[in-house]
Amino acid sequence: MKLFDTSPGLGRLAAAALIALGVATFQSDAQADGKFVFANASAYDTLDPHAVFDVGRVASRINLYDGLMRWQDNPPKLVPWLADDVQVSDDGLTYSFTLRDATFHDGSPVEASDVVYSIERILAMKKGAYSLFEGVIEPGSTKAPDAKTVVFTLTKPSAIFLATVPEIHVVNEELVRANEKDGDWGTTWLSENDAGSGSFMLKRYDPAIGWQADRFDDHFYGWDMVENPLDSIEFRTVVEINSRVLGLMNGDFHGTDGYLPQDQVKRLRDDDNIDVQEEESMRIFYAIIHNGRAPMDDVNFRKALSYSFDYDGFIDNILSGSVARDPVPLPNNMWGAPTDVEGYSYDLDKAAEHLAMVEGEIPEITLGALAGYGQTEQAAALLQNGLNKIGVKTKIVAEPWPVASGKMRDEQQMYDLLFLWKSTYYADPNNWLGEMYSCDQIGARNNSWYCDEEVDALLNEARTSTDQDVRRANYEKANKMLVDDAAGIFVYNTKWFGPFSTRVKGVRFSPIGNGQEMRWVSID
Amino acid sequence: MRALVLTVNRLIWFVPTILGLLIITFTISHIIPADPIAFIAGDNASAEQIAALKEKFGVDKPLPVQLWNYIVGVVQGDFGVSLYTHRPIANDLLSRLPATLELAFVAIILSAAIGIPLGVLAAVNRNSMLDHVLRIVTVSGLAIAAFWLAILFQLLFAMEWSVTPLQGRVDGWGPDVHTGFFLIDSLIMADWEIFGDVAHHMILPALTLAFPAMATVMRFTRAGVLDAINSNYVDYQQAMGIPRRVVIWRYVLRNALIGTVTQLGLIFGILIANAVVVEAVFDWPGLGLYAVNSILQSDYSAIMGFTLIMGMVFIIANLLVDITHGAIDPREAH
Repeated sequence: MKLFDTSPGLGRLAAAALIALGVATFQSDAQADGKFVFANASAYDTLDPHAVFDVGRVASRINLYDGLMRWQDNPPKLVPWLADDVQVSDDGLTYSFTLRDATFHDGSPVEASDVVYSIERILAMKKGAYSLFEGVIEPGSTKAPDAKTVVFTLTKPSAIFLATVPEIHVVNEELVRANEKDGDWGTTWLSENDAGSGSFMLKRYDPAIGWQADRFDDHFYGWDMVENPLDSIEFRTVVEINSRVLGLMNGDFHGTDGYLPQDQVKRLRDDDNIDVQEEESMRIFYAIIHNGRAPMDDVNFRKALSYSFDYDGFIDNILSGSVARDPVPLPNNMWGAPTDVEGYSYDLDKAAEHLAMVEGEIPEITLGALAGYGQTEQAAALLQNGLNKIGVKTKIVAEPWPVASGKMRDEQQMYDLLFLWKSTYYADPNNWLGEMYSCDQIGARNNSWYCDEEVDALLNEARTSTDQDVRRANYEKANKMLVDDAAGIFVYNTKWFGPFSTRVKGVRFSPIGNGQEMRWVSID
Repeated sequence: MRALVLTVNRLIWFVPTILGLLIITFTISHIIPADPIAFIAGDNASAEQIAALKEKFGVDKPLPVQLWNYIVGVVQGDFGVSLYTHRPIANDLLSRLPATLELAFVAIILSAAIGIPLGVLAAVNRNSMLDHVLRIVTVSGLAIAAFWLAILFQLLFAMEWSVTPLQGRVDGWGPDVHTGFFLIDSLIMADWEIFGDVAHHMILPALTLAFPAMATVMRFTRAGVLDAINSNYVDYQQAMGIPRRVVIWRYVLRNALIGTVTQLGLIFGILIANAVVVEAVFDWPGLGLYAVNSILQSDYSAIMGFTLIMGMVFIIANLLVDITHGAIDPREAH
């Protein structure tokens, strides 16, 4: 007895549908000529260049917008961009920039008043890169004496000001003002629109998908230096690592982020259609030690911690040698990093020696790690193993970044120790040493509650001095003192493994832009 | 009339259910020791920057005040502003909801279209080889993790055989949005190329989502058919000379489907929950991805908005189930 009358057939229809859909091999439109598609791990929740200041979404800032200056290449060089000249007063307080001829995407000229509006917007919104200029530039102090000259007057000398200038992304004042609502500085409008002069102009944006932009032919820098520049770029949000990797291998994407786990990097290297570019970056991996809490306030205990971590085992075995040992709190390819510091090694005898010098009972130590970031958990486990061998009890607490970042700013809630990375926001030693260990940054960016008068004096002088030799000497000395003090456990400096389709040419990596400035790139 | 009474009755319960959902979600999301403001301000933010943001978003106020303000806002149609995207939550949710619903609808249609006939087959061929094979399929469907199945499908169909897209909802940016349901939008535009492309992209995520649902549907249908097939009326109808095929598909199945339809209502909620994983793997720009990001960033308003929308979808789905029950079995309406 037949239960199904198979003649009209659901099965037949299904088969027909599958054949219809699957008869041809699938070709994505990412394979179209002149179009570059990048799979990005972070969602582009906003395109406002003054609302965010992170590495994950840098592409929208540097491709849609220009700054007065720009970081390029590796090691990063600060080059004139919208400005073609800068004059600094003898007292180091006044910076006068002369603009070159440039136009916004709507065809209007880029003028000094736009730069003034942009810095005022940053100061008023208190978001994104605001912290770089907080207390350095007062609202209303930036002037535009003429259409081509903009003058910044600092409240105090700042040796890092020029290094932070690229973060003043210039927006079209007239356009943004026209879209302001209730004095919001146009934040709602600019979160999904473009008011820039950058190499590419926004074509389409969907917070759920990403953004697409076309080449801006009238960009001031011109396009002659690139033989076959991209017609359009697309940055899509793809949160899953595996999906990004498979998409790249499948030809759906032409590039993805350069900080993938090593097993995925190896997988991509084995693919003939993928070229994995390798560069030493400026992103250190270290452990913040809570120097303000006993027993971590005892230098001997901190040294015991530092000697208990298996650096070689971590770098060579867990990370397959994909990073460079960095014994100091500054990337070892950054000026100001001393070359004669050996740093700590895995030496449990020395650890036990220093532990014996610690007075009082040692409580259980909380080792913090970032949930979802396997390396931090692996590092915590490795340290736990070492400390266990010298009789220090520990517990590992892995919590998501929103939880950890909140605790880091609270002296009571902060973990005894926390493994994490410190990225490059501007290429100056202050990005690391000044922010991580200055006394005036305690509770904000100094999350180790470390405050040493001599180190602080060195860092302050380096932050304000205009003498490069003095700055370099101070940073080198501060590095050594911080290592001697075992202020943190300094592990490695990251390498960037940028995977791109072999069709992609001309990628220029800079630690600040992560190789995502697309104006140099072409596709065969 | 009875269907109307049933609908009104369910709608009356709608308000306290949603309110309870809101309070529970609000409490849970706020007792987690996360500091979303510190997170969105970035690791370079100053204390002043963080304080200004806390004041702006009202998270510096006591929790009961925050909850009251939120409920008042929701009543007025204001779900708040996302801490992270700085856009109204309602806009964010509405722009993503169609992608998730479209996927869930297709998945549930697939699971019913495949699961019900196979369930009947398994029942009428009880303890046969076919039944055993289908049991393996259903156990697999219930046991296999969605993300693993998704990756397996990607490797097989997209990478190895290149017969489906690897990920995404459509190649490029899709049709002009009318409803946000790309299949419908492309039909409205009579653009068959985009329709085919959207359907093509839908195959893997919909199958991944449908597989466990299909297993449940199959098991419940099998149980329902087995239960009904031993009834006296079946013996009577067969004695009357009605072909067994007709008895099974017209009479037995109708009775057996009551349990299955109930399950479909519950499954719809589970599908929406599973969409969180499936959307992440297939880069499907729906509510699931939004929920993942919101949870990771402790974006309270967005989490509550998502929960509220999901609660409403779930309640509506089950209301439809109740109404369908009445249509299948008039006794249910009483």
